[in-house]
Amino acid sequence: MHEEWTDKLSDYLDDELSPEERYAVESHLLGCAACTEVLNDLKRVVARAQSLDVRPPQADLWAGIRRRTEAIRQPRRVTVTVWQAIAASVMIALLSGAVVWQALGRPTGLRYNGPAPADVAQGSSPASDRAERKDVVVPVSYADAQYDAAVADLQKTLNDNRKRLDKTTVAIVEHNLQLIDQAIEQARQALEADPANDYLSSHLVEARRRKLDLLRRATELAEAN
Amino acid sequence: MTVDNQHLGPRSGIGLSIDADVALAAGGDQSAFERLYHTHVGRIHSLTRRMLGGHEADEVTQDIFVRTWQKLGQFRGESAFGTWLHRLAVNVVIERRRSYAIQRERMADDPAVLETVPVAPARADLTVDFEAAIEQLPPGAREIFVLHDVEGYKHREIAVMLNIATGTSKRQLHRARMLMRQHLNG
Repeated sequence: MHEEWTDKLSDYLDDELSPEERYAVESHLLGCAACTEVLNDLKRVVARAQSLDVRPPQADLWAGIRRRTEAIRQPRRVTVTVWQAIAASVMIALLSGAVVWQALGRPTGLRYNGPAPADVAQGSSPASDRAERKDVVVPVSYADAQYDAAVADLQKTLNDNRKRLDKTTVAIVEHNLQLIDQAIEQARQALEADPANDYLSSHLVEARRRKLDLLRRATELAEAN
Repeated sequence: MTVDNQHLGPRSGIGLSIDADVALAAGGDQSAFERLYHTHVGRIHSLTRRMLGGHEADEVTQDIFVRTWQKLGQFRGESAFGTWLHRLAVNVVIERRRSYAIQRERMADDPAVLETVPVAPARADLTVDFEAAIEQLPPGAREIFVLHDVEGYKHREIAVMLNIATGTSKRQLHRARMLMRQHLNG
């Protein structure tokens, strides 16, 4: 038996050789009965391996598996495709920009609670101002300690468990959080210019709710893994 | 329970009812998961028995199905469930071997491996003898022989799974085949 040739026979059998090597092996096999016999034996080994039957365990293992799985909470299936996530991101970005633009730039249709520039210039009376402002909306508070604590807590849990999420999911979550934070910041700045604008207030509340919701979902997903 | 239409590993096909059971099991349905177990347990148990030996196969098979239950929510249907389950099973088996801290030593290109010769057939049942001979292969060569020749994985896939070079996979496979040849001619 020629080891320099037999060592190549498995690769020959599996079609892993270059054309030149294959040609060399075949040329050798034509004149070497011993190596041809080894090749035939290897073919038998492979054929036997490929024909092995599936054999179930002698004992039924299901009872043990059931005991163990019953004690485990079935992770909730959270299926969000990348396209859905991207679409959500785009929607958030568009909504954020559109709402702020609309609230700041729209001349009519938005309930206006402050004095008109013309009224100020013409010195309208405080009594008439009060009458017009009876439906003034109290601006949302940015300093919501409970909200901030909840966000901080979820953010910490998410950071602690982020290794359990795959990189794509982490990237999507972080991108969405970034967009929501931008929306919150835009609404906050707009409200500083127009504190009584209930439209902006509700937008800010909604953006903050979205952030909390996204953090909750991401944390649930990480903890389920 | 027939296992003819199982779709485990690269050589397997696709079954329609399995998809429904996967969806039900992912929602927490134990009966659906039991049906999946009965459909796939033969192939999974055979894999673990051949790669780890009969004495560990039952325990590791249970571990694999418990892990499957835990990870069903991550199955997105990008491949057949059987293929996904099979890869998960291979990973569990490899983790088990690594936990014994012997993976590296066994994967080394040690010429002494060739000194280990499986026993010649002692029984009339050639299939059982062949199975017994697989279990007596040196562990590194055995894993690769099972993954390549029995389960149908390619060398490049095996190299990734076992974190070894493709060349090492090829050499170990050839060693395993040569040892099995001795067994057949024993």
